[in-house]
Amino acid sequence: MAVVLAILQYCSLLLAHCQSRAFHYPIMGFCAPPKPWERAGAEGTSGPSPFKPPSGGSTSDVVEASGTAKPGETIAATEGNMSANVNNPISRPMPQRPWQQTGYGNSYGGTGYGSNMYSSVGGYGSTYGSGGLYGNSMYSSYGGGGGLYGGSGMYGGGMYNSGMGSSYGGYGMGGMGGMGGMGGMGGMGGMGGMGPYGNPDPNSFGPPAAPPGFWVSFLRVMHGAVSFFGRVAFLVEQNTQAFYLFITAMLQLFDRSGMLYGELARFVLRLLGVRTKSKKGRVQGAEAPAFEGPGQQLFEAPKAANNSWDNVWGN
Amino acid sequence: MPSFKAPAPGFSVRFSPFHEHRLLAATSQHFGLVGNGHLLVLDLSAAGPGGPGLTPLFSFPTSDALFDCAWSESHDSLCAAASGDGSVRLFDVTLPPAQNPVRLLREHAREVHGIDWNPVRRDAFLSASWDDTLKLWSPDRPASVRTFRGHEYCVYAAAWSARHPDVFASASGDHTARVWDVREPGPTLVIPAHDHEVLSLDWDKYDPSILATGSVDKSIRIWDVRSPQAPLAQLAGHGYAVKRVKFSPHRQGMLMSCSYDMTVCMWDYRKEDALLQRYGHHTEFVAGIDMSVLTDGLLASTGWDEMIYVWPFGSDPRAM
Repeated sequence: MAVVLAILQYCSLLLAHCQSRAFHYPIMGFCAPPKPWERAGAEGTSGPSPFKPPSGGSTSDVVEASGTAKPGETIAATEGNMSANVNNPISRPMPQRPWQQTGYGNSYGGTGYGSNMYSSVGGYGSTYGSGGLYGNSMYSSYGGGGGLYGGSGMYGGGMYNSGMGSSYGGYGMGGMGGMGGMGGMGGMGGMGGMGPYGNPDPNSFGPPAAPPGFWVSFLRVMHGAVSFFGRVAFLVEQNTQAFYLFITAMLQLFDRSGMLYGELARFVLRLLGVRTKSKKGRVQGAEAPAFEGPGQQLFEAPKAANNSWDNVWGN
Repeated sequence: MPSFKAPAPGFSVRFSPFHEHRLLAATSQHFGLVGNGHLLVLDLSAAGPGGPGLTPLFSFPTSDALFDCAWSESHDSLCAAASGDGSVRLFDVTLPPAQNPVRLLREHAREVHGIDWNPVRRDAFLSASWDDTLKLWSPDRPASVRTFRGHEYCVYAAAWSARHPDVFASASGDHTARVWDVREPGPTLVIPAHDHEVLSLDWDKYDPSILATGSVDKSIRIWDVRSPQAPLAQLAGHGYAVKRVKFSPHRQGMLMSCSYDMTVCMWDYRKEDALLQRYGHHTEFVAGIDMSVLTDGLLASTGWDEMIYVWPFGSDPRAM
């Protein structure tokens, strides 16, 4: 009996040791070398300290002594397994859920869906190594439309020849500075959300976890999209000037495209036989047929040419 | 001097307070928007086949972007990383990736953007999050010790005072920098520091009441917490938002900054001509900088061009 007890005791000791090992980091014993400013002769130059004198003891004790401690306060609803982690003093690292498994692409090699997505997008450097899209289009100004479209072409090259890829390519086109690049990244946004599908869990034991239900995965995709755009928004915020330039460029683009569509519309209307009269036309030559165009007159014929037109029609 | 091509855009770099040849770098795929993160431990080897080089020792993948990292001051192999999924992760670089992170701390509701280890008492660290709060953690506890509320918008950075074990400051998108005492329920000082978001701040290591803030308004301002009505100095020279500021651990008044204008600048705020040097070695946004505590004048930077550079002050980072 005593032997059994001893073995049990030994085992529990061993277990406790194993459990505590991972988290037993000596707090005060082994510390970084003294900082340069802590050495003798490196005293500060200022007068009396504006702060309350420091307290003794560890930071946790100091906070608890001050009555401000509120351990484990979560900011929003946390996940269930976290509360267990909080209450258990000897906690184990929380095992990651299957969709949290990370890795350099290898962990994404699951079903065809996941692996294709990630091999084409996440392949470091290949899809958007600094040489390609990013390098030449991102920092060129918005004017060079053709070259910038090259950015979307990159995404269009593979499986992104879809609405998503091209629309974000559009961002890149309008873009400037960081905007273009980020816009280009948009294609990834959806992808990040898709990731959860079919990632095998290399550390899990037993059968693979059941695939998440439709709503779960849908919400996860939504979460990915929302957090992605949240981060874009933050980046934009931190680059207010860049954002301003981006908006200015977009407005200019719309302005010009508006002119273009105006011209196209006029052309089509003329083909259809609708007579449009512009103010200038009426002023300069009310008798001239609209089709021959006071507009053309304005563009192609300088003032002296008015006479030649008059000759053609008048006499 | 050595450079290293990281697998993804770099967001933060830190020299080890224990080993002068060791660096920590936080990188994130796709510019931190979506995708994985990687925590890298790099070794600055003195002699290699092509002169000094940076060699990766460890690489720990994470499921979301990493925005910041910090070495423990109490244990040479322990480090913390701030993750985009709202978690704070503790890594032990002596353990294989399968056993890391040794601790996963999930309490923040949104992205954790800044992390800083207490350099005086060395037993606690802070995390700053986009959920407008800061949290104080101790590596021997499974949950946060306390939460600091008061900011009205995202908190981007936190910095412990280099001389007072209970005092730290935080930089937030609500245009303020706040000074806190862990024993007080609220901030002890609110500095309306800039007209735009404040992205970073740091304490002067030699003058415990001097604080530098870097902001979206492209300027760096130096504050004295005893007279916070007006800045002591304003350093202009960056062309875009200032992403990080850091005071030199060796020289009083000297600070380093990096910006979205893709440059790293060295300043001495007490000089008439404050800008000492400008480095344009990055080809993308520079997101992380650090100055070695153990080697005077050794600088490091990382940016979205996926490069990590280490160079001595005064030399060209790209010169091999």
